[in-house]
Amino acid sequence: MKKYLYIIKIQIIKSMTYEFNVYGNIVMQTIIMITSAYFWKALYRQQTSVSGVDAQSMLTYVVMSCVLSVLLITNVERRIEISVEKGTVAADMMKPVNLFGVYFAEDIGGVLALIFQNLLPILLIGSLLIKVPVMADIRDLPLFLVSAAESMLINWLIAALFGMIAFTAVNIDALIQVKKHLIRLLSGSIIPLWFFPPSVSRVLSLLPFVYIYQLPLSIYIGKGSRAEHLMQMRLQLVHLVILSVIFFVMQRQVTRKVLVQGG
Amino acid sequence: MKNALRELCHYIDVTIHVIKMAILTIIEYPSNIAGWLISNPLQFIMGFAIIKFVVEAFGEINGWDYGQLAFLYGISVISHALSMIFFVQGWFMGYYVMEGEFDRYLTRPLGVMYQFFFTNINIFGVTDLIPGILVFLYGCMKCRIPVTLLFVIQVIIMLTGATLIRGGIYILLGSTSFHTRSAVDFGQYTQEIMDKTTMYPISLYPESMQFILTWLIPIGWISYYPASAMLGIESGVSGGLIVSLITLGVGGIVMLIAGAYFTAGLRKYESAGN
Repeated sequence: MKKYLYIIKIQIIKSMTYEFNVYGNIVMQTIIMITSAYFWKALYRQQTSVSGVDAQSMLTYVVMSCVLSVLLITNVERRIEISVEKGTVAADMMKPVNLFGVYFAEDIGGVLALIFQNLLPILLIGSLLIKVPVMADIRDLPLFLVSAAESMLINWLIAALFGMIAFTAVNIDALIQVKKHLIRLLSGSIIPLWFFPPSVSRVLSLLPFVYIYQLPLSIYIGKGSRAEHLMQMRLQLVHLVILSVIFFVMQRQVTRKVLVQGG
Repeated sequence: MKNALRELCHYIDVTIHVIKMAILTIIEYPSNIAGWLISNPLQFIMGFAIIKFVVEAFGEINGWDYGQLAFLYGISVISHALSMIFFVQGWFMGYYVMEGEFDRYLTRPLGVMYQFFFTNINIFGVTDLIPGILVFLYGCMKCRIPVTLLFVIQVIIMLTGATLIRGGIYILLGSTSFHTRSAVDFGQYTQEIMDKTTMYPISLYPESMQFILTWLIPIGWISYYPASAMLGIESGVSGGLIVSLITLGVGGIVMLIAGAYFTAGLRKYESAGN
């Protein structure tokens, strides 16, 4: 455990090297957040409430979606791709640590650094320029925190599974894009699924993506009843378990393959 | 005169070879071809579907109906595809600066900017182009636009301009790496901002933002102004070739500024050092 904590620490220090990145990312994310907010404001100009959600809740949704997106940044897929391509994965595997444990610790470290570099500034800017994202019902806070933690795990597992493809395919730039678009468009990060036709959103709720953004955010803005939330969180947990099982099976498979290659 | 002509021929010759090589390199990773073939069309088909859902839930978007939005979306995606083919390197310039990759370009007897963008031509951009064209044609059909020779010329001029604007903006952003010495991958954010400002009418946004998008960062000229002129929406400007030519002009100006900034940045470039 101590080893992994050390990796987390190293990663935090690494993240602080380039100052310009920090400012650049904040500026870019602010622009994205503001354009989204105006997009919804314009759409709600004629209606007060669509699908049971009003404009104010939607603005909270936008701010919190930007905040959550910071926590959902992963690097594991690129990390695997680069280390397989350059062959450094062999050296990594000789170290007395679990390979994926290292990747996970690195991503945790990255996210911890981002909380201060990115998440808090974004939250502050969003509150000042758009709306203070107040939770609809503060009693739902534990539910929100649990579902957000689970959504981080689901997100990381999906990223890691895509990354594992690099062990056989080597170059997975395109697949990383596929993953990115699937999450961006099907998770409700930009446009929540309740604006989709019922048949489409029913199919999409069978996929794990909805549980990454939309579930925690729905809980946050109080869309739906608590019973519905609990029901969906159960489904979220099922997805988490399924993905974990696939992950552990695949992990053994891919590491065995690399061992063979190493002679 | 004769020298300039010979040089031009040389550049064209090199370009042809470079494109041949680019086609060869994409066969290197078969999984990659499959990936791009799925990824890019998927992205735009899903994006387009989402616009349809939003229009269904909210009615029109700021007075633009579904067909007109398809037209706008088509222009946006086609110009995106073209800029991906020729200028995607701008997104990754930071890595080239950090790893000292410009050394190779500096030692060769060709323009550095030409080499940087053209020796890495991105054939996969074609996978963006096809869905873009399909959506654009669908939009034309929905809006019942008569396809005349004038219309085709308008579209070609406008797309050239739009591609130059996008490319110029990528180069400008990428060239900041010469000064900051850091590899920021702004690609994802740039694309997200571009999506939001070119796939939807910018009249959604407040006046101040429209001003910025028209005069300071001329993203509005990529799709919004040409599309609204061609469709006759909110037309303060007349139709004909004028708006397309303005787009081309804006593209040229953005490209010139970007080129100057790139060249200035290159002077500050000092390899990776060891």
